Amino acid sequence: MLELVGAWLLRPNVVAFVILFLSGFYIMVTHHNLIKKVIGLYILQTSVIFFLVAFSAKTGATVPILLPGADPVDVGLYTNPLPHVLTLTAIVVQVATLGVSLALVSAIYRQYGSLDEDEVGKRLE
Amino acid sequence: MIRHLPALLFLIPFSVAVSLPLVGVRHRQWCRPLALGAVAAMSALAGLNLIAVLTYGASRYAFGGWAAPIGIEWLNDELAAIIVLTLSLLTLTSLVFAGGTAPRTLGGRVVPFYTLILLQNSALAGVVFAADVFNVFVFLEVAALAGYALVGVSGGRALVSAFRYLILGSLGASLYLLGVGYLYAATGTLSMADLGGRVPEMLASPAIVGGLTFIFLGLAIKMAIMPMHGWLPDAYTHAPEAVSPFLASSVTKVAMIVWIRIMFWVVGPNASIEHIPVITFLDELGAITAVAGALLALTQREIKRMFAYGGISHMGLVLMAVSLGNPTAFAGGVFYLINDAVMQAALFFLAGTAIHQYGARTLDDLGGLRSPAWLTGALILVAMSMVGIPPTGGFFGKWNIILGAIEAGNYFAVGAVILSTLLTLGYFVKLFERLFTGPEPESAPSHATPLSLRVSIASVSAAIILLGVCSDPIVRVLLESALPDGM
Repeated sequence: MLELVGAWLLRPNVVAFVILFLSGFYIMVTHHNLIKKVIGLYILQTSVIFFLVAFSAKTGATVPILLPGADPVDVGLYTNPLPHVLTLTAIVVQVATLGVSLALVSAIYRQYGSLDEDEVGKRLE
Repeated sequence: MIRHLPALLFLIPFSVAVSLPLVGVRHRQWCRPLALGAVAAMSALAGLNLIAVLTYGASRYAFGGWAAPIGIEWLNDELAAIIVLTLSLLTLTSLVFAGGTAPRTLGGRVVPFYTLILLQNSALAGVVFAADVFNVFVFLEVAALAGYALVGVSGGRALVSAFRYLILGSLGASLYLLGVGYLYAATGTLSMADLGGRVPEMLASPAIVGGLTFIFLGLAIKMAIMPMHGWLPDAYTHAPEAVSPFLASSVTKVAMIVWIRIMFWVVGPNASIEHIPVITFLDELGAITAVAGALLALTQREIKRMFAYGGISHMGLVLMAVSLGNPTAFAGGVFYLINDAVMQAALFFLAGTAIHQYGARTLDDLGGLRSPAWLTGALILVAMSMVGIPPTGGFFGKWNIILGAIEAGNYFAVGAVILSTLLTLGYFVKLFERLFTGPEPESAPSHATPLSLRVSIASVSAAIILLGVCSDPIVRVLLESALPDGM
C-alpha cells in the first residue's frame, strides 16, 4: 500500500490527470443540468490534453529550434514538438465540440424553456 | 492524376461543402445540384480509384511530398478503396432521397443540411484513408461534429437526442485520444505502419494494453457495440427523414473500419499476450451485441427505432466475424459490413417514405402501406437480405461468417449468427403481420410519391440483389488483396 502511494507521489502529473478525468466524468454522468454536463465533458477533454502535455514535459529542454553550430544534435536539449502539435489540434477539436454543444443547449432552451434534463424530458411527452 | 485520387476524393466534397454556405446565401436552389454533382464526381472517382488500386496495387499518398515519418500519409489500399466507393455511392443515393423529403422535414434548413452532409462525407473518406492514428481522430471528430449537427438540424425533439449523441460521442473521442496518447508515449510514433512494427513486440507492456483498451472503448461507443449503444436508437429515430439513412449507412461502419485497421494492421492478426489471443473476448462481445440488438428490435413499436436496433445487431455480427481471426470470416465480415451499409440505407429510405408519404411512424400505422406494391416489394426484398435468404447479399455475408466460425471451431459464434437470424426473422414477421392485417386509414395519401424517393429505393434494392449476385467476385477480391499481412 505504502509503495503504491509512493509510486503515485512520484508521478503527480498522472495523479492530477486521473483526478481531472474522473471528476469530469462524474459531473457529466450525475448532473441533470445540460450546461453542467457540457462543463463535465470539457473538464474530461482538458484532462486528456493535460495528459498529452504532461508526458512530453522534459526538464532542462528548450524549444525545438536548432541551435547554431549544433552538430551532432543533442536530443536532450530540445523538447519533442509532436505532442504539443497534437495538443493544439486536440484543443481546436475541443473548442469546436464545445461550440456545437452550446449551440444545441441553447436551441433546446429556446424550444423547451428549461436546461434541466428531467424537465425537458417531461415536456417531450 | 491517378496518383492524386485519394486527395481528390477528400477535396471535392470538402471544397464544395465550404463554398455551399456562400452560394446558399443568394441562391438556395443551387445547393442541391451542387451537392449532387460533388458526390457524383466523388463516386465516379472512387470507382476509378478502385480500378486503379486493383490494377496497380495499394499505394501510399504523402501530402505535400513529405514522406511518412515527417509528413502526413494516407494508405490507399483495396479495403479503403472498396469502403470509400460504398460510402460515396450511398451518400449519392441518400442525397437523391433527401431531395424528395428535405424541404418539408428540414424546416427550411436546406443549406446547412447539404453543407453538413458533404462535410461529413469528406471527413469519413479521410477516416478510411488516414494511415496514422491521430489523423483518424481528427477526421472522426469532424465527421462526428457534422453528425451531431445533422441529427439536430431540424430542431424539435431531435435536439435532445443530438445532445445525448454529442455527450457520448465526445466521450468516445476523448477515450480514443487518450489511447493514442498511451500508444505514442510507449512507442514514439503515430503512423500505423510504424506502430505495426513496434506494438506486437511490446504487447505485454501495460501502456500498450491500456492504450488499446481505451481505443477500443472509444471506438465501441462510435460503433454502438452493446453496452455503449445508448445514443444510436434515439439519434436515428428522431433525426429528420433525410438524415437518418445517411447516418445509419456510414458512421458506425467507418468506426468499425478504424477498429479493423488498428486490430489487424497495428496489433497484427495472431497477436497474443502470454498465449492468450488479444481478440479472444471481442467475438463474444460481438455475439452478445448481435443477439441482444435483434432481441431489442423485436420489442420496438416505432419503425425507425426497430431498424436502428437491427443495425446495432448487424454491427455486432461484423465485429464478431472480424474477431474470429481467419481469412474467411474476415472477408465475410467486411462483405457483410458493405451489405449492412446498403441495407441500413434501404431500411431508413423505406421508413422515411412511410413517414413522409403515409404518416406511418409506428407498427400500428403500417396498414396504409399495403396498396403501393413497389413499396411492399422493396420492403420484402430488404427483409430477405436482413434475414439472409439466398439471392440477396445478406445471405452470402452470413454464409461466409458461418463458414469462418466453423473453420475457427467457434460454435458459440455459429449459434449467435443463427439465433440473431431467427430474431431478425421474428421482428420482420411482426412488421409484415402489421403491414398485411393492420387497419387501412380512411384517406389515401393526397400526393403521389416523388420520383426521387422511388429512384433511391429502386437503386438500393438493385444494389442488394447485385451484391448477392456478385458476392463471389467481391469476396474473392477481399480474400486475395484486402487481407492484413500475416492472416
